[in-house]
Order: sequence, then structure tokens, then C-alpha cells
Amino acid sequence: MGGVTHARWAAGAVVVALAATGCGGGSGGGYGGGSGDGVLSSSWGDPQNPLEPANTNEVQGGKVLDMIFRGLKKYDPRTGKAQDWLARSIDTKDSQNFTVRVKDGWTFSNGEKVTARSFVDAWNYGASLRNNQKNAYFFGYIDGYDKVHPAGGAQSADTLSGLKVVDDHTFTVRLNQKFSGFPDTLGYAAFAPLPRIFYTDHAAWLKRPVGNGPYAVESYTRGSQMNLRKWDAYPGADKAQNGGVTLKVYTDNNTAYTDLMAGNLDLADDIPAAQLKNVRSDLGDRYINTPAGIIQTLAFPYYDKAWNKPGAEKVRTGLSMAINREQITERIFDRTRTPATDWTSPVLGTAGGFKAGLCGPACQYDPARAKKLVKEGGGIPGGQVRITYNADTGSHREWVDAVCNSINNALGDSRACVGNPVGTFADYRNRIGQHELRGPFRAGWQMDYPLIQNFLQPLYYTNASSNDGKWSDPDFDDLVDQANAQTDPAKAVSTFQKAEEVVRDKMAAIPLWYQNGSAGYSERLSHVALNPFSVPVYNEIKVG
Amino acid sequence: MPEQPYEPERAVAGTGMGGAMDLGASEAVTLEQGPGGPEGTGPVGRPRSLWSDAWRDLRRNPVFIVSALVILFLVFISLWPSAIASGSPLTCDLAKAQDGPGPGAPFGYDGQGCNVYTRTVYGARTSVTVGVLATLGVALLGSVLGGLAGYFGGLPDSVLSRVTDIFFAIPVVLGGLVLLSVVTSNTVWPVIGFMVLLGWPQISRIARGSVITAKQNDYVQAARALGASDARILLRHIAPNAVAPVIVVATIALGTYIALEATLSYLGVGLKPPSVSWGIDISAASPYIRNAPHALLWPSGALAITVLAFIMLGDAVRDALDPKLR
Repeated sequence: MGGVTHARWAAGAVVVALAATGCGGGSGGGYGGGSGDGVLSSSWGDPQNPLEPANTNEVQGGKVLDMIFRGLKKYDPRTGKAQDWLARSIDTKDSQNFTVRVKDGWTFSNGEKVTARSFVDAWNYGASLRNNQKNAYFFGYIDGYDKVHPAGGAQSADTLSGLKVVDDHTFTVRLNQKFSGFPDTLGYAAFAPLPRIFYTDHAAWLKRPVGNGPYAVESYTRGSQMNLRKWDAYPGADKAQNGGVTLKVYTDNNTAYTDLMAGNLDLADDIPAAQLKNVRSDLGDRYINTPAGIIQTLAFPYYDKAWNKPGAEKVRTGLSMAINREQITERIFDRTRTPATDWTSPVLGTAGGFKAGLCGPACQYDPARAKKLVKEGGGIPGGQVRITYNADTGSHREWVDAVCNSINNALGDSRACVGNPVGTFADYRNRIGQHELRGPFRAGWQMDYPLIQNFLQPLYYTNASSNDGKWSDPDFDDLVDQANAQTDPAKAVSTFQKAEEVVRDKMAAIPLWYQNGSAGYSERLSHVALNPFSVPVYNEIKVG
Repeated sequence: MPEQPYEPERAVAGTGMGGAMDLGASEAVTLEQGPGGPEGTGPVGRPRSLWSDAWRDLRRNPVFIVSALVILFLVFISLWPSAIASGSPLTCDLAKAQDGPGPGAPFGYDGQGCNVYTRTVYGARTSVTVGVLATLGVALLGSVLGGLAGYFGGLPDSVLSRVTDIFFAIPVVLGGLVLLSVVTSNTVWPVIGFMVLLGWPQISRIARGSVITAKQNDYVQAARALGASDARILLRHIAPNAVAPVIVVATIALGTYIALEATLSYLGVGLKPPSVSWGIDISAASPYIRNAPHALLWPSGALAITVLAFIMLGDAVRDALDPKLR
């Protein structure tokens, strides 16, 4: 599973976070070791939860985790390819039993050594039902997960039987099925190592997380800002090229943009839709727009019978066909989004599983057919679609209004669809998590790592970690299991695409558009880039 | 006619003396008519009340004429918006987003391709409805509570005064954000209810003060001496003489309620789409100010003119009803 960062529900648009940022991989060492001491400020939103790595599945928290943690693997900030980072090697003969060797010389920012135990204990913590971590599901392939995190009842074990520490720098992983992509998932923040203080003084750790990344958290005031300082003794090649980052909380991306223009903010990684027409003249080449592994969809509440009854898939398909994606991406987003024709992302490449047109006519604007399908499916549950979204990032209000107008025009009912804004991303995620919503909701998915599996399994597999609408389909689950067991990558991809067709036929979620990462920065900064997850590569940024 | 206000007292005093000698019920009734038209007996015998005086003043006041015409127009388009705007305010064509004026759309189109002219016209209904109903609610609740407290005094009066103090301490916008954010109904009623809840103490204080003043007048004492009931005294003698300040303040407040509705809708806690409100439109258009300023300026201008019209009307009414302030 996915590993990697789960996609965090992308806050939206653009921005989402995550990812492996930084890595420098190939380029990381290029700038020489931290000469700059300048601190930059960057736009941000409060994370939903305290920053436990296994409990963070949204982009804003993920952004920080990617600055303060480094895992076994790291995703190249240019290509997204997983490369060994803390791992010296991850070996397997059968795609089911893995031997992980951890590099020597890594420590946490409090001086404690990073050992095999740092990983194994962290994974056991993340998997344990008792700790109720949102990303526990990512450990589901490790043998013994069903004992540690049973679907029902109390757990009968505290640790995963599939994890064994061999020596200080070696541990083994036994999976409960073959999963050839497993090593590539290990760059996801949920698999980060944790220091002892995480267990011995949990409250202190939550207040000021201690990690092993190029930055260390200095202070955090909810609703205001988080100060991260460069960790000078960071042993990796991707040392921070600046003195630190101040993440400033904004509840409106227009405000962030205005602050950027006024010189009060150095980096805004969420350009408001209303400014897309001006951003090139405002910022010149200080505006960057790069493809990112983000897809915006509308998810549905399958825990609500009205949306889960037979025939409802016709309503959903009808709604999908009532949305004029071409027009919205052009008029609202100035073509910085591309209409979606499948459920993945072009950044995967066709070899990686992206398949343009897989959605077929179900994603084509066809108002007449849309109206017919909605009618055949029994009409819109409750007579009105309320699309819930968070209003603080991503210019969601603009596109949700446009989607609703498109649906209203297609169905010939000016009140068929209405937007339902929630003030902040964190609150929005909470409401989704509590299954409070009774209608479709915005679901932006930022990949955790560039595998097709990550666009499907965490979102649509029964009880998967980010399957917020609780969609469940045995055919889909079967195909995903088969795909994961494939050792031939091409066959795995084609099996995943079959699973994707199930998603299409049931219209489990309506794909809207593929998103680019876009950001603007001040004249103080240079070497600013977004990684394929659309997160700024903070450690490479130079100030002044 | 500066002497006019004194007329009633004289009348009351005179009849009061007469009444003291003859407490016949019929006599009392005629007496009450005195105060009923206290402002009513003109020197030339033509009945001239405070109200007709005020009306005469107002008719000559250009500020009143202009604001009244604006308000009449607003009321008209609130009742029959389709008379001057074609199409539905909810029909938007994204292909025209941010376009300037065109046929049938003299104000251009907003960021969603909605017709700004149509939406601005339809938005008047919301504003006028909220303003008028909130004012009525506030005036009724405030004057009844304040009037009773002022008339009877004692413990209820003290309690009410403290309660109004508490309500005065609630910041309006903050209160709106807190109270209205939990409301899911998308009608004007929660907004009106909120305004009444926070608006009545102002009126109640004014009503209380003016009732206390009025009840000390001799004609009230006389009516009491003649055995009139509290209800009768309140309704026949006090209310007509205490209501003027309430009307003045309520008229001015009407404009502020309209502005408050727009503020709350702007903040996302008042009315919500698909309701049509100037506040919603202003909020939606503000990010586009650089590329489509017309979408922001027209609803803002309509709001400003409407609020101004009601406040000027209130001013004119105050001048007419309360000559002492002139």
C-alpha cells in the first residue's frame, strides 16, 4: 500500500502537500552544505492532527513530516522515483520476505542513533489498534497485522509478528502476501523512524516533535504559525540550504497571495484561481507551474443508504456527465488543470498506469444524457446535491460553484446542486472522518508515491485508510489483491487498470481534473521547485 | 409652532381640574380624548397631530423625498424583480465568466458567468426583506419589553436593564459568526432571528426611557386618578407619546440591518447560495477585483445606496418627529 504519503487529501488545489520533498537526491548535495542562514516564510494550513507520522494523512501535516523526517526511501524531487535513503539495502528473493539494512551514522536531532529498532518500534506503534493511527492500514501487508489490528474485537498481539530485529542495523519484514512494490512505499511518512522519547514522553514529543530530517520544529502555535529551524548536524546529503522555514497559517489563499505581493510572505504554494490571469505579469519567472500527481474528484457518502442503493451509480454517472470539465478548467483555472479522463494522474506515465480516456463517455459533458441517467437512477437523493468543500485553500469555492452551475444547467433545475463550504481544511477533514456528510464531497488526492496502486487502493479498497466514503466492491478488492501479487510490473499495472474499470462502471467517485502544482515566490528566494507531489522542495531553497 | 407641544398639557390640566369635581365616567372618556389628540388640537380648530406636522415637514424635505423614492423603487423591485430584469439570477453561463456588459447584462458577468444586473436586482429582495422584518421584530419586541419595564419599574425593570447590558456586550459580528455558523437552514429567518435577538435591547432601552418620561406627565396622572387601567393608560396615553423615538431609531437601524445581513452573508454565515444576496455576491467577486471589478462594484454600490437611503430616511423622520433636535 501505498505508501507514501498518502495522498493526502489534497487540500486542494494545488497545494497539497506532501511528499517527499526534498530529497535531494541527485541534486541535493549540489549546493554545498548550508551556507545560507536566511529564514523563509511559506503559506500553510493547520494540520488536522498532532504530527505523529502514522496519524497524518493530509497534506498540511505531511508537508511538515517531510521536512522533519527521513525514511528508508526518499522520493526524488524531480522524478518521484523512490531511492534508498536511510536504507543501505532492501533485499528480497520472493517479494514477500525482505531484509532491510539501515545505514550507520544517522541520528535523530536529539542525538539518539537511528537503528533498526527505531523503525520496527515505530511501525508496531502505527499498526496497533490501541494507538488508533489513521495510517495503520499501510502496515496491513505485514504479517500479524490481523492480530495487532483486528477488524473487530480487541487486539491479541502488540507487535507485528512479521517484523524482526536482527541486529542494530538490520531487520526483516515478512508480508502476508507477495507485494513487489513494497520497498517503494517505504518513503511514505507513515514508515518514518521514531526516537525513544516518542514513547517515553509522548506529550513532550507531540508538543515539539523530534525527527531525523533536515529541519527541526522550534515552535508551533495553532492557527498562527510553525517555526522550523535548520538542523545543523543533519547527516544526509539533502541538508537545508536555508536557515529555516516559517510556515504561516492562512485561511484564504487570496490573503496569502496578497501577502506575497506585499512582501510579507516568501512562498505561496497555492495560487488562487482568481489570480491565475495575473500571476505571470505579477511574478514573471517567480511563478512555477509543474505537473503534479494530484487528481481532484468528487467522492460520495456510501455510508448513506440514499447514495448506496441500486441504481445510484446511474445518478453518479449522470452527475459526472453533467459537469463541463473543459469549460471549468479553462474559465476558472485558466488551463492550469486538465480535464480528467481516468482516476490516476499523467505523472505516472502510460507505463506507470495512466490511461487517458479510460473513463470514456462517463467523463464527457453530455447534458441530455446526464439528465436522462439521473432520472433513470431515481433522481438526486434528497432532491439536492450538496457538495461539501473546505473554503480555505485551493480556490474550491470557485470550482464547486462552477460545477454546481454546470449540473444545474444540465439538469434544468437551478437548485439541483449547491456548494457547502467548511471554513478550514482541518475541520473539513474531521467532518469527513466522522462521516457527517450526507452528500458528495471534494476529494483531492495527492499521490504518496508514483504508483497506480496509490491512486486506487487507499481510496477505493474496502476500509482503506482514505476511503472516506466507505465505498466497497468485492470485484475491485479482488483485482487489487491480484495486482499486488503480480511480480511483473506491466501485468500489475494492467490488473490495476481492470480494477479502475470497476471504479468507472460504478462511478465510485467522479474524476474532475488533473492538477498542476503551482507556486509563487518572492525576490529573496532562488532554487525554488515543486516536487511531483506539488510540495515545495524546502531544503533546496536559498534565501537572499 | 413651538407652542404646540404645550397645548395638550394645558388641555389636560384644565380638564383634569374639571374632572376632579366630577368623576363621571363619560367625563373621563372625553378627557382621554384630550391627551389622545394632545398634539391634536390646533389653534385654528383643525386637528393637527404630531404626525401630521411631521408629515408636513417631511414633504418639504428633499432628503426625505430622494430617500423615499429610492426606497419605493427598492420595494418595487423586491416585489417584482422580473419587471426590470429578465432571466433567473441562478442561471449562469461559465462561458461568459468575467465578461463585461453585453446585451441583457448591462452590468456584465461575474466569475461564474452569472448576470450581475439580474443578481443585483434580485438581491434587493433579500436585503429589503431582512431589513424590514428584522426592524419590525426588533421594534415590537424591544418596545413591548422596554415599555412594560419602564411603566411598571421595580424588579422586572432592574432585571431587564441588566439583561440589555449583557446583550449590549455581545459583539454583533462575533455573535453572528458563533450563532449562525451552527445553523443549517438556508432561509432569511435565522438571520432575522439573530438580528432581533441582538437588536431589541437598543430599542427596549429607548422605549423604557421614553415611557418613563411619558408616564410622569400630568395627563397620565389624571387618567390614573380617574381609574383607568394600566392597559388603557399604556395604550391610549403612553404609547402614542412614547413611540416617536422608537420609530426614529428603528428606521435608522433598518439600514444597518441591511448592512449587517450583507456582512454576515459575506462572511459565509448569513444567507448561503443558492440564495441571492448582495453580501454573497460581494464576497464571491472580491477575489476577481483586478480582472472583473464590475462584478464587485455593482452589488457594493447597490448595498451602499440602499443603506444610505434608509439612514437618510431615518434622519429625516427624526428631524420631523423631534423638533428639539433641530
